[in-house]
Order: sequence, then C-alpha cells, then structure tokens
Amino acid sequence: MFVGIDVGGTYTDAVLLENEQVLATAKVPTRENLIDSLTEALDTIVRDEDKEKVKRIVFSTTIITNLIAERKYEDVDLLIIPGPGLSHDFYKKMPYAHIIPGAIDYRGREILSLNEQEIDTVLREIALKGSKKVGVVGKFSPRNASHENKVAEIIKNKYPQWQVELGAKIGNQLNFPRRMVTTYLTCATREPYHYFIESVRQALDSREIYAEVFILKADGGTVPLQRSEEFPVETIFSGPAASTLGVQALTGPDETAVVVDIGGTTTDLALILSGQPLLSARGARVMEQLTQVRTLAVKSVAIGGDSVLSCTGNDINIHSQRAGQAYCLGGPAPTPTDALRALGLTELGDGEKAIKAMALLGQELNITVEDIAEQVINKVVDNITSEIKKMFKEWEQEPAYRVWEILHKHVVKPTIVAGVGGGAAGFSARIAEKLGCRSATLRYASVANAIGAALARPTLQINLRADTEQGCYIIQEEGRREKISNRKFNENKALELAKNSLVKLASEYGLDLAADEIEVIRQEVFNMVRGWNTTGRLYDITVQTPRGINARIGVGE
Amino acid sequence: MIKSKKTGLIFFPAFDWAITPTHPEREERLLYTRDQIFEEGIMDLPQIEEYKPPLANIHDIARLHFCVPTVEKQTTEAHLIAAGAAILLSDKIVSGEIKNGFALVRPPGHHAMKVVRGNRGFCNINNEAIMVDHLRSRHGKKKIAIIDTDVHHGDGTQDIFWHDPDVLFVSFHQDGRTLYPGTGYTYELGGPGAYARTINIPLQPGATDESFLYVMDNLILPILNDFKPDFIVNSAGQDNHYTDPLGSMRITAQGYARLTEKLRPDLAVLEGGYAIETALPYVNMAIILALAGLDYSGVREPDYWPGRFKERAGVAAGVERLVDELLQRWERRDRVSPDAKRISGNYYTRNKRIFYDTDYIEEDQIEQLRLCDNCPGYLVIDSDAKHGCGRSGRALCISVPHAACGRCRGEAAELYGRSRQDSQYDYIYLQDKHDDIFYGYSTDSDHEWSSEG
Repeated sequence: MFVGIDVGGTYTDAVLLENEQVLATAKVPTRENLIDSLTEALDTIVRDEDKEKVKRIVFSTTIITNLIAERKYEDVDLLIIPGPGLSHDFYKKMPYAHIIPGAIDYRGREILSLNEQEIDTVLREIALKGSKKVGVVGKFSPRNASHENKVAEIIKNKYPQWQVELGAKIGNQLNFPRRMVTTYLTCATREPYHYFIESVRQALDSREIYAEVFILKADGGTVPLQRSEEFPVETIFSGPAASTLGVQALTGPDETAVVVDIGGTTTDLALILSGQPLLSARGARVMEQLTQVRTLAVKSVAIGGDSVLSCTGNDINIHSQRAGQAYCLGGPAPTPTDALRALGLTELGDGEKAIKAMALLGQELNITVEDIAEQVINKVVDNITSEIKKMFKEWEQEPAYRVWEILHKHVVKPTIVAGVGGGAAGFSARIAEKLGCRSATLRYASVANAIGAALARPTLQINLRADTEQGCYIIQEEGRREKISNRKFNENKALELAKNSLVKLASEYGLDLAADEIEVIRQEVFNMVRGWNTTGRLYDITVQTPRGINARIGVGE
Repeated sequence: MIKSKKTGLIFFPAFDWAITPTHPEREERLLYTRDQIFEEGIMDLPQIEEYKPPLANIHDIARLHFCVPTVEKQTTEAHLIAAGAAILLSDKIVSGEIKNGFALVRPPGHHAMKVVRGNRGFCNINNEAIMVDHLRSRHGKKKIAIIDTDVHHGDGTQDIFWHDPDVLFVSFHQDGRTLYPGTGYTYELGGPGAYARTINIPLQPGATDESFLYVMDNLILPILNDFKPDFIVNSAGQDNHYTDPLGSMRITAQGYARLTEKLRPDLAVLEGGYAIETALPYVNMAIILALAGLDYSGVREPDYWPGRFKERAGVAAGVERLVDELLQRWERRDRVSPDAKRISGNYYTRNKRIFYDTDYIEEDQIEQLRLCDNCPGYLVIDSDAKHGCGRSGRALCISVPHAACGRCRGEAAELYGRSRQDSQYDYIYLQDKHDDIFYGYSTDSDHEWSSEG
C-alpha cells in the first residue's frame, strides 16, 4: 500500500492506494501545526490493521514556503567570491553579502588567489554581529570548488560551531546570482527544517508506522525523508507538482494536458506535454528571486473561487483578495463561485443566496441574474485561457542554442483540460471549449494532488564535465575535481562515469536503477583547438533517472 | 508609445555547426562566452530580454543577395537562423518592445557580397545587410548607418551598399596591406551617386583603445550627426582584441564597451573574433552591459591592467591625419563628380575580381549602374566564376533599388526578359526591391522561380 499526502495552504488531502486502486481518501483543513494536519490525514485513511501493509508514504509540504514567508530563521551571512565581471555594486545591494577577493574562470582555473587576511577580517565582522550561519559562494565554483573549500576550512578552524554551506554543492549549475540565493535559503532553512523532519519521524514512530517516507520536490521527484535535509529548498512548491503528477496518473499516457487548479484566491496552471510534465526553463522563483531549484513550470494567476467581485460602470472587476467564503456559503461578498452556483454549474452552497449575490453585483447594470453570472464566468475563463495560451507561447519561445533544437521543436496543442481542486469543476469545461479541446472529468479530481504524491518517483541527475586538455573531470553533484588517468579517455568513458555515479546515487535514494533505463539528456563534445591543432576535448554530459510515475489510476472520463 | 528600457539579446552559439572541426568558425567558438554570461546571470537581469531566433525565410535572403544558383544551395539552417536573429531583433526595436539589441550569433556575414558563390572570410550571407533591407521593405526605414568594428575590412557590406546613398557604411579595421581581405583603403568611397557613403579607416597594426576612441569621437560621431540615420547597426567583430590570433590590434574589453557606449547602436551583430577564451567571454559581456546601460567597469581580462597598452606616438599622429583627410572628404561629399573614365553612355562600370578563400572560387564581375536623373538607377552584374578547373556558371544579376523610378523598373524588367533568350548566361535573376519581388531563371532547365515579400 502507498500513501500520498498533499499539505496545501487550506486543505490537506490524502489517499491510500493499492494495486492502482484508490482504497481511501481524506480531506482535512490544514492546521497551524503542519504535523497535526499530516497525522490527522494519515489517521483518517490508514486503519490500525493496515499499518504494517503501508510500504511507502510520500508527502508534500509547505514548510519551506512558510519558513521563508514568515522569516522564521536566524540571520544568514554570505561570503561571496565574485571576482571580475558584473560590477560589485550589484552584490553590495544585498546586506548579507560580504565580498572577498579571489577568482576562478570558466574552465575552473584560478585567476586570482584568495587572501586569508581579508577572509579573517570578514569573519570577525560576522562573529561580532553574532551570526552563526554562513554560506560561501564563488563564481564558477561548480567548475572548481577549491576556493569555497578553502574558506570553509578556515571557518571550521576558527569558528567550529558555525553552520557552513557551500555554493558548489547547493547550486551546481552555471548561474552565480541564483547560486547565491539558493545557498542563502538553504542556510536559512536547514535547521528549522531538521526539527520539522524530526517531528514527522516521531509522529510516525508513535503510530508504529515504519514505512519508507519520502518528500515531494518542486520538480515532481521524491527524496527520502532523511536526505531531504541536504537540500531542503527543493521541497518548495511541491503542491502544484503533486496536482500535475496526479493528472498525469489519471489521464492517458501521451496526452497534452493543461492542469487547472482553481483554489480560493489563486489558480495554478501547469502543462503536461505528450505525457510529461513541463519543467521550467529557469529555476524556481522564491520571494521574487530566481534560484537553482529545479521546478515544474507552474503559473499562478490571482483568480480563485473566492475572489471578490465588484462593478464599476459596465465592467466587472475580479479582485485578487478574498473576503471570506463565497456568498452562497455564508461569505460577505459575491464571488465567481456564486456565479457558478447561480447558473447551476456547481452544487456548492445555497442557490438562493447565489442568485442574491449576482443580483447585488448587477443591480447598477440593470441586467438579469443569468446575464451577470454569465459575464462573470466569461471573464474568469477569458483571463485563465489567455494565461494558458501565454504558457504555451513561452514554451515555444524558450531560447535554444543548437540548430537541431530550433528545427525540431514542434508546436503542440493541448488535447485536454483537467480541472483539479475545489473550484475547478464549473470552469474547466468552459476553458476547454475556449481552447478547442476536451474537458477531462477525472475521478478523484479533488484528491488528484495526493494521488500524484503517492505515485511520484525520484528525479535524480548527474552532470559531468571532463576537460582532457587539463586532464580532469568533475561530477558537479559530487563537487570533486578528479584527474583523468586513462590516456584513452573518450566520450563513452565519460558517459560511463556519469552513469555509474547516477546508479550509485539512485541506490542511496532507494531506487534500483538499471544502466539501460538511464536517460541521457545532454551529451556534447567540443574539440578544443589552439592554433590549428586539437589540444583536447570538453565533454558535457547530463544523465537522469527515467521520468514518469509509478502507476496510473484507471483513465478518467 | 512608452519606450522599453530593455536590451534584447539573442544568443545563438550554434553548438552543432562548424565550417570544419578545426576551423576558427567551429562549435567551440561561443562556448566560453556562454559560460561567462550564464554564470554572471546576465539573462536574469531586469534590463535584459532574451529571445529565441527564428529562421529567416528564403525571400529575406533573395531580396538582398544573388545566391548562385539558389538561396537553398548557398545556405544552411544555421545561416538562416543567424540572419533571422538580426531580423527579429530589428522588428522588436522598431516596435519599441526593446530599446536596443545584440545578436550574439554565428555564423558571421560581413564578407558576403551582393553575389554569393560560396563562403568567403567565413561568411555566406550578410546578416546585417539582410536585416537592413528588411527594415527598409517592411518598416519604411530609409537612412541606415552600419559601423563595422571588426578587425577585417567589411568588404561584403561595402560591396552591397556601394551605390546606395541612404546607407552609410563605415568600417574600421587593420590596414589591408597586413590582413585579409586586403581592401578597405581611404580612397574606397562609394559609387557615383553615393560618394563618401562608404568610409574606410585603415589602422596600423598595434593600435590601442586610444586610437579606436579617437576615431569614434572625431570622425564617426560627427559624421553620424550629419547623416542623421534612422537606425544604427554595429557589425561587432571582436578580433581587434589584443589576444586575437588573426588580427594584430591591441583593443581591450573596456575599449569595446566604451566604443559601444559612445556609438549607441540600435542593433549590434556579432561578426568575427577568434580569441575564444581570452577575449570573447569578456568582450561580449562588456558589450552587453554597455548596451544595457549597466556598469561594465568590472569586466576585465585576467591579464589586463589599466594602462597596459600605450599608443605609440607615430600611430597616434597617423590616426589624426587619417581622420582629417576623411573629414574633408565627408565635407565635400555632395560636390564630387564621378570618375569620367568609368562612364560610358548611360552606364557607370566597374570590374571586380572576387576570391572566395574558404571555397577556393574565383569570380569575375562586370558591374554596371544605369545612371538615371530621377532615381539611384538599377544595377546589372555580369558574374562568371571558376571553381578549381570547373566553371560554376555565368549569371546575370539585375537589382532594382527601393527608390527606383518607373522607367528604370521597366528597363530592368525588359532586360530580364530579353536575357532569358540569351544562351551565354546559365542563370538570370531580377531582384526588384521596389515591388519586393525576386525572379530566378535557369537556362539549362528552362525553369523560372520567384519569391516575394
């Protein structure tokens, strides 16, 4: 038996699955204390006699989002090594960043050495402030982390009680500003996240549930509970990922689907292109800043079932805030949910009240209740549809750096619109009609998110870069620069190294990975020519575990 | 219209395209530039908007070039993408979506001439020139200035706009006696109706930022101020850099950035630059920051320090004389009569021999301009080429300019029709920019094709 739990902002949803069947579902309000919500949902779906049969629990959590939004963390300082390039004024705007001299170039060569005295001065400043959490981030550190390592060593000797995080480990892709942000967030959240994980462990122990426990990440992959402490930020935005995987599990294998999750005040949109959830070309955006956290491409639109409506002149306004529940459910103001109810497109709430809400809204316009409700729904549908079209357009317009990528990217059109979440039912048919595709009525739509969590798999990647001219290679996830000893090193050897690393990493994540299942998503060879002679080769290789879900739950409709 | 504050960027390194594996124009060329701009997070800056390049269509090329035998035979997809990138950015600039742009693309184009028989100087088609003709046909832009800052003379662009009074072409480069393609002297000043709309500034090997910026301040900016272009293009070659393996100049990333800041081009398009590790990551970054109005003072090469390169006294004096001479020619630009020896009847003739170094093709051209009192006149090029021991076909190329008068258009069309009966030509082309239509005809197969905008 598998358990999936999605702890959302308003509700916590849970499912119990066995052999591709849904055995039990639960929906409970999310409490202040996330552990309470988790255990309440768990207690609802897992009966005492089934406890031993639960093999796997996957849950998504808003803990990181909450920690960051409520700034529930201690001060963090970053020691950054930007070297030449973008003006240092750019970094001085961040009060927590301390610049130290040193530089590494794009091939991992040192071009300016560290200055221990300057490091000392900065460390003393930080110590004086009383901070104990520091990140060390160098430009081009994924190509050579020796500067970061050296600074960490100095800190360890002088201030052994400090928590130190290294940029190369946390943000191994090329993007120094995003690496800084990601390292900062990791540094800030690691300790409180650790306590959260401990409480989860205790809560499960006290219930005598000893299943393997995984956490869902923003890219829709799972990570074992303990290992999630290495990169806690990766667990941000896992709710939309859960819903998207849920739709993937509830629809056909090759569908191109739009996932529409209409909540109280926001609508989350995600895309599944030919059966695979679309990943964002950029990293997750946290507090307006881009990070190196891999995430599904999710767009949040500020419209929901509880959005407050008003009229000015002949125009209907949809406000981004919520005044409470819909009028038909006892709330204070007319909302899109009331419009649905007034037209009989939903069963929620009191029909009389919904009609009254529409009458209130339309009183100045002197038109019928049906007309005003129709206008409200059109407006909501228009807004959401145009955002969906924009998402497809943005996907088509993602930059490409190779000729074949430009030639082989085909325009795709959605085949189905899948509504999940409370408010979606009435709107998704209209959205589908507007996009010229089918509307999928999914069984279990209201707990699709929990189903997605239950069926998620690990998403692991290994990035290898070998530079035969310098005679070294680096596996960016491991961070060590290794010598190439074999004179006959070639593309196949590089690929083999990357695959072996992935198999090893996968086994640590509880995944039995066969070499032939591995997906090679990048395999590039560059001849390095100096003068007119080939002096070496650069190999850039990325391999990953196969994307997908563990099972499908009977197809919808 | 609210003008956007953003700089548009198309980065297209064509990581899967090369002339040959060890050629300077190979996959690796923009690899370290990618590393640098990605690591710096340039694409995330609020002042930058990155776009994906489309393919230019066949007519975009045929509107400008005479590709023998056809556009399809002379271009690969990579060429169409590079040209498409320049076109897309020019559209975004005209619409106000971005304030300026940089097409950081390969393959380059500034050695490609009006007639294209093959690859010369690493170029097949001229990205900037194609974009310029697109601007004129589609957006009604009339006056355009192209400033070529590549170390090599931009002989292709010069050839294309030689007779065009509405396109100012200025090239600074290392003296042609010391470097490919061996042209670009001060006496090359344009055709009879476009005198001094071509300006060449050959600089001595070893010239530094000081000379570069002196020419900018004292020659190019005053000329631009007189010419008043609607659109400024920078053919941004980066091989003037002090580490370039092909050129011998001593320009730095800071020098390129200051030049860009002074010139304020609407659109910069990458041309040459083959110090792929020691120059390109820094020069490209400096140009992007300068275009975006950001502080570029922190961009420097690992072996650079301020004051490293001092101009030699002789060079500085030579540059001053050069600038004076060219300024005088510019002042007299509308009072110079064409060379009478080249005029016979209604035609102005020049003979050209063109060598395609990459493909080893020798081409002979007789270029005749129909002199007309009412318009710039149409151009007829009789081109014959030898490729090794074989011939690659004789072509008659007729080009009617945007501002052509009715009589010239009629004559050109008649000439095209008549020449189709003439068996001495293998290919006959009519390019009518006024009506934005192109015809090609192969005598051998008696087949005509056409394209229109």
